[in-house]
Amino acid sequence: MEKARPLWANPLQFVFACISYAVGLGNVWRFPYLCQMYGGGSFLVPYIIMLIVEGMPLLYLELAVGQRMRQGSIGAWRTISPYLGGVGLASMVVSFFLSTYYNIINAWAFWYLFHSFQDPLPWSVCPLNDNHTGYDQECEKASSTQYFWYRKTLNISPSIQDSGRVQWEPALCLILAWLVVYLCILRGTESTGKLEQLANPKAWINAATQIFFSLGLGFGSLIAFASYNEPSNNCQKHAIIVSLINSSTSVFASIVTFSIYGFKATFNYESCLNKVILLLTNSFDLEDGFLTASNLEQVKSYLESTFPGKYSEVLPQMKNCSLQSELATAVQGTGLSFIVYTEAIKNMEVSQLWSALYFFMLLMLGIGSMLGNTAAILTPLTDNKVISSHLPKEAISGLVCFVNCVIGLVFTMEAGNYWFDIFNEYAATLSLLLIVLVETIAVCYVYGLRRFESDLKAMTGRALNWYWKAMWAGVSPLLIISLFVFYLSDYILTGTLQYQAWDASQGQLVTKDYPPYALAIIGLLVASSIMCIPLVALGTFIMRCLKRGDTPPVA
Amino acid sequence: MYWSKGISHVLLCNVTQRVSFWFVVTDPSKNHTLPAVEIQSAIRMNRNRINNAFFLNDQTLEFLKIPSTLAPPTDPSVPIWIIIFSVIFCIVIVAVLLLILSGIRQRRRKSKGASEVDGTEDKCENMITIENGIPCDPLDTKGGHINDAFMTEDERLTPL
Repeated sequence: MEKARPLWANPLQFVFACISYAVGLGNVWRFPYLCQMYGGGSFLVPYIIMLIVEGMPLLYLELAVGQRMRQGSIGAWRTISPYLGGVGLASMVVSFFLSTYYNIINAWAFWYLFHSFQDPLPWSVCPLNDNHTGYDQECEKASSTQYFWYRKTLNISPSIQDSGRVQWEPALCLILAWLVVYLCILRGTESTGKLEQLANPKAWINAATQIFFSLGLGFGSLIAFASYNEPSNNCQKHAIIVSLINSSTSVFASIVTFSIYGFKATFNYESCLNKVILLLTNSFDLEDGFLTASNLEQVKSYLESTFPGKYSEVLPQMKNCSLQSELATAVQGTGLSFIVYTEAIKNMEVSQLWSALYFFMLLMLGIGSMLGNTAAILTPLTDNKVISSHLPKEAISGLVCFVNCVIGLVFTMEAGNYWFDIFNEYAATLSLLLIVLVETIAVCYVYGLRRFESDLKAMTGRALNWYWKAMWAGVSPLLIISLFVFYLSDYILTGTLQYQAWDASQGQLVTKDYPPYALAIIGLLVASSIMCIPLVALGTFIMRCLKRGDTPPVA
Repeated sequence: MYWSKGISHVLLCNVTQRVSFWFVVTDPSKNHTLPAVEIQSAIRMNRNRINNAFFLNDQTLEFLKIPSTLAPPTDPSVPIWIIIFSVIFCIVIVAVLLLILSGIRQRRRKSKGASEVDGTEDKCENMITIENGIPCDPLDTKGGHINDAFMTEDERLTPL
């Protein structure tokens, strides 16, 4: 006796779930950064090539496996080969790490959303200092948006060693974020479908990596989603649709982001000029309005020649304002979302409305991706007969959310943002490359490409195109191996790892080395997911040997 | 005062680019000038009135050695974000509880052996038979609209 597997109400729901999972914050804050770093529009060339050669084939592979095996990642890979259950387990471990740290972004988005309903926006003005004679020191040195992010939101400590206490405000927002995720996954699958310098080798590598992670390959989420499909579903069409929509969302987001960059650069440049003008006007008792942006350089050289002593006193305080250097500062990640965008928003008309809309959008993106992540964790758990016979689905979901929430409180501490950066950089990157490599090799060479091809034909009624076969068997594994080799050599060559810490006294980021225990945790993060594959294979092999030891092998 | 003599009798000295002046305040009853500290605190308290008298503001009228105090931003007694947070929090908690309760009620109804199919929203988890290791989907999933015993529309014609 077996329970019927829940199904998507219609294929559109499945497509929307995949799109909502794939289109995430990475489209908004990682892709525009990469475009800027690697030559703007020309980055699209390696990106699109990698999309066609790596992204679509691997996405199709994962969807096909899920749809064929009709189980979550652990069960699916165990069906392909009993020794490969570890792949599914590794995917689950990586998904677990991801869900632990990803939801803190939603918590931050909630925090900013709730603060958008004030006039003026809290990140547009600096608070006053103690005797009300000026603005807070840290806020003056940095900017009001940076101050609000680093001091009010994160209350960040100067280094990763000073852990500080759990901040109750972001902790509350984190709990709310997890409640919202729990609400969405409570009803199971049905509820997650909602109406994402050419010669420079680094550009190609980053394009490959971006496609890879942007589509969310290797987490088991796509397998989980596809396992709820009808067997006859045309997942080839859906794979292409999802990857195309994901990429066009990235490109669209870049257009918006670049205009925001330009706005912010111009604004900062002009305020820098105004500060210099004010400083010179006050120091030399000049007439108000005498100094303008156009005659600044001439007046500066005049003052330098006429009053050399006083000028040299003032010189250290004068900043060299340059529009180029403002434009060259590319920001990615949380810095882009919570600093650059908020700075642009605070200068708009009706800024409360734009702010609320923007953070609502971030929340939608973030929660959509979170649902995919939790599906990757929950599907193998609910598939497992032992667990699902003891606990109802709601209790399993609640337990997973609760455990993740408690661990996620680490990121609400004062040093939490540094730990977040560690998880963001290292929890998923290397492990996913290896997982997807093993997946591709498992399907093509362990299960057999011909066997899989005939399975798909029997399931969907369509023959497999030669293009997919060529990619799965040859090109994609080679690409992944080269990416893997590159990353390993990069980590080894750069020696010790460093991070950016916020210095409150200077009002800017400084580079520091990771302490040894942080390096150990990074190693543990990477190893714990990768080791699942050989360990489970070894365990299965030993168990089989023991069982075969009792009965003689059949000739 | 009324100048009857004309502009030529106004003498300027120590001309600067800005309009600036020194002043002292004398006490007419006692014949001495008031100390600077008192004047500074008095000016600090009445800064707004003095500014308005000259039609200037803190940026355009500067008193040396008297830093202007800035108006603190208005701080409501309860931060606004907590109010919004509590509202959303309560809504989500209520929705979660409703869903959990309806799930429990459904399971209780199913265990009582009710055979009627519920709303099309939730998938019924009926027991199904397995023949030759292949599970046969029950005929009444999805509210009885689709009969899985028959081929789907796409496969009505066998492909060549």
